[in-house]
Amino acid sequence: MSNSLVTKTPLSDRLFNAIVKISPKVLMAILILPVLGGLFGVILPAFGWLPALDKTQFNVHGFQQLIQTPGIAQMIGLSFFTSIVSGLLAFIITLLLLATYFDSPWLPRIQRLLGPILVIPHAAAAIAIAFLITPSGMFARLLSPWLTGWQNPIDWLLPHDPYGISIIMGLTLKELPFLLLMTLSAIAQPALNIKLRAQYRLALSLGYYPMTAFFKAVLPNIYPLMRLPILAILAYASASVEMPLILGPNAPPTLAVAIMNWFHDVDLSLRIKASAGALLQLLITMSVLITWWLLEKITLAITCKSLSNGKRTYGDAFWAKIINFFTVLLISFITLALLGMVFWSFAGYWQFPLALPEQWVLVHWQSALLQVQTPIINSLSIGLVATSIAIILTLLTLEFEKQNGALLSNYSSLIIYLPLMIPSIAFLFGLVWLQEALHSKAIFMNVALAHLLFVLPYVFLSLASSYRRLDPRYAQVAASLGASPFKIFLQVSLPQLLMPIMMASALGLAISFSQYLPTLLVGGGRLNTVTTEAVSLANGASRRTSAVYALIQMLLPAIAFSMIWLVSTLQNRQKKNTKVNL
Amino acid sequence: MSRSFETSSLQIENLTILREKTALLSLNETIKGGEVLTIMGPSGSGKSTLLNWLTGMLPKGFQAEGNVYLNSVNITQTASYQRHIGLLYQDALLFPHLSVADNIAFAMPKGDKKARARKISFALAEVGLAGLDNRHPDSLSGGQQARVALLRVLLSQPKAILLDEAFSKLDSQLRQETRQLVFEQIKQHQLPAIMVTHDESDAIAANGKVIHLSATPEQHN
Repeated sequence: MSNSLVTKTPLSDRLFNAIVKISPKVLMAILILPVLGGLFGVILPAFGWLPALDKTQFNVHGFQQLIQTPGIAQMIGLSFFTSIVSGLLAFIITLLLLATYFDSPWLPRIQRLLGPILVIPHAAAAIAIAFLITPSGMFARLLSPWLTGWQNPIDWLLPHDPYGISIIMGLTLKELPFLLLMTLSAIAQPALNIKLRAQYRLALSLGYYPMTAFFKAVLPNIYPLMRLPILAILAYASASVEMPLILGPNAPPTLAVAIMNWFHDVDLSLRIKASAGALLQLLITMSVLITWWLLEKITLAITCKSLSNGKRTYGDAFWAKIINFFTVLLISFITLALLGMVFWSFAGYWQFPLALPEQWVLVHWQSALLQVQTPIINSLSIGLVATSIAIILTLLTLEFEKQNGALLSNYSSLIIYLPLMIPSIAFLFGLVWLQEALHSKAIFMNVALAHLLFVLPYVFLSLASSYRRLDPRYAQVAASLGASPFKIFLQVSLPQLLMPIMMASALGLAISFSQYLPTLLVGGGRLNTVTTEAVSLANGASRRTSAVYALIQMLLPAIAFSMIWLVSTLQNRQKKNTKVNL
Repeated sequence: MSRSFETSSLQIENLTILREKTALLSLNETIKGGEVLTIMGPSGSGKSTLLNWLTGMLPKGFQAEGNVYLNSVNITQTASYQRHIGLLYQDALLFPHLSVADNIAFAMPKGDKKARARKISFALAEVGLAGLDNRHPDSLSGGQQARVALLRVLLSQPKAILLDEAFSKLDSQLRQETRQLVFEQIKQHQLPAIMVTHDESDAIAANGKVIHLSATPEQHN
């Protein structure tokens, strides 16, 4: 810059400016290259090109094998319907909760209750639900024998039912808090919130019953903000592995699970079929998203006329009662699932229809804690590396935005969401293949970088709004006092962002802890984390051990978030004390 | 319900609004149809809180004693959406997802679609907005939006109307015209009205009783 004419810019400042300048490009590259490279690494073998097996001719044998797989139609159907139905259920429940409690003190309470589920890893949530609905689970125990007459667990459908009902339960329960919290945080923007509330009140003053007022006056204005999170959960659900693995049927499983099994088969030639399957998975995910888009259009066409038809109520009082009832049911369902898991982890002898264990023992925890040390250290170190890189890159990119005075282009924002929208099973295998091709042996760094792909979008989402909301006048005052951009960044911007940075770090850690597929695939099964251990124990080992692992899985992110809470409390207390001393 | 020979009225009986056990304001007034009661006072004197109480949306932290009667019916405990009290804010608050006509239709009682559309077109023309039925609210000027908001309230057939700084965002020329239109319509529909404002000229134009609320004493020294 021209100020070098006046005084010579110190090296640290020049370095900082250079780093800030390239950081958006680095961020984009970290997100795009593995995804595109991974897709490339799937497309080539899908069409028969796999030099490792001396196959260097392009053909469609992989797809032929895929089509001939027994049960392939069921696999596709299972993947498609479990994701659409669970997405639809999560969406409808979110709307009903919002509509019923929009103006009630219960909305923040429900938000606080459901919030923690957001950071429970999918695998742990699946295990908790499996414990609840299994023939000898908490449901059956609470209803037996007084209602059902069962003295022994009977053989019923759930979990692992061939229709995917258990998967849908698991996915819905995990997607619901995500969608609800994303929506609430979107409408919490002060300007929008004031407007929505005023319009809601206006509708009430015009005689609209509360729920109808929400659907006719508020929802049309917030749906556009819900669309992206919905598409993200649909994309995730259509290709998720943990939930169907723990809750779904085995023969045939969902397509994503089948692909994973083929890739892990000792028969390496199955990799060609698996790659073809990964491309098919992409198609399924796309058709799920397109189906949602069509449903949206149809719903809009049907309902847009009734928005202004003047009808004030559609049985609001009745629906409010029903929804109150189901909200209580939902919360008890979740509480019961978590309680059941805690019980199992301490249970000694526990005969069937009894709702509480007869013996409480610590032995499961003791033996698990001896074995879980390495996985915990792995989880923590991978999480810390991925999260630190994500935080630093995000901060630098946002600083670049600020210095340039312009937000990232739509195109760039879309790229940030890329790893959330493209099913990981479709590109992770390609990524592994690429790493093998490049003879990359640094397993730890490879896994951490794979985690970064999934951590980065969430960290960026969570930090961006706070950074962009910073009052620019502080930086301007500092600059007018002669502070360099580097000094402003370190001493003005970052201290103001301490809490958002801590929150984003905790979120990043939680996302990293929960990663199953990237750890398993990129680590080649040689790097065990708490999550990979929990999943592999879920379908085999004793229910008690499995409960302990699932609980440890939940405790890790909980510890991260409690530390944030502790720091913020201490900081507030310090501020108060300083004021008093003055 | 109210008998037809009775003129409409809004009666506030022995109202005291408290904030954390400190009295914020007290009021005992009856407004007849076509009259406008003006409430003036500095910010924090409880003007908006009074309107919130009248619409049944008193925020947390406030308590109220007293009753409100609309056309001799006690509506103190009636839910907001069953009070039939129309509101005009300083922002037009037109729904961005609906056209001008649909914004008004939203407020009207159910009925024959064509009859409603005709009524809307007629009303729009009456206030100088002929032909804007299918426009998007954002494409209207501030003054036009204010007039649509007024039509929306009137065509919802309210039994009383509250004006919450309704003209404060309009510049002086527009302000005068809009104000005149609103007061004419209030008179024509024989609606009891309460206007909250901090502008003397609004009070003079309303040509009715004016109540000055005083600022509440500071609670901490």
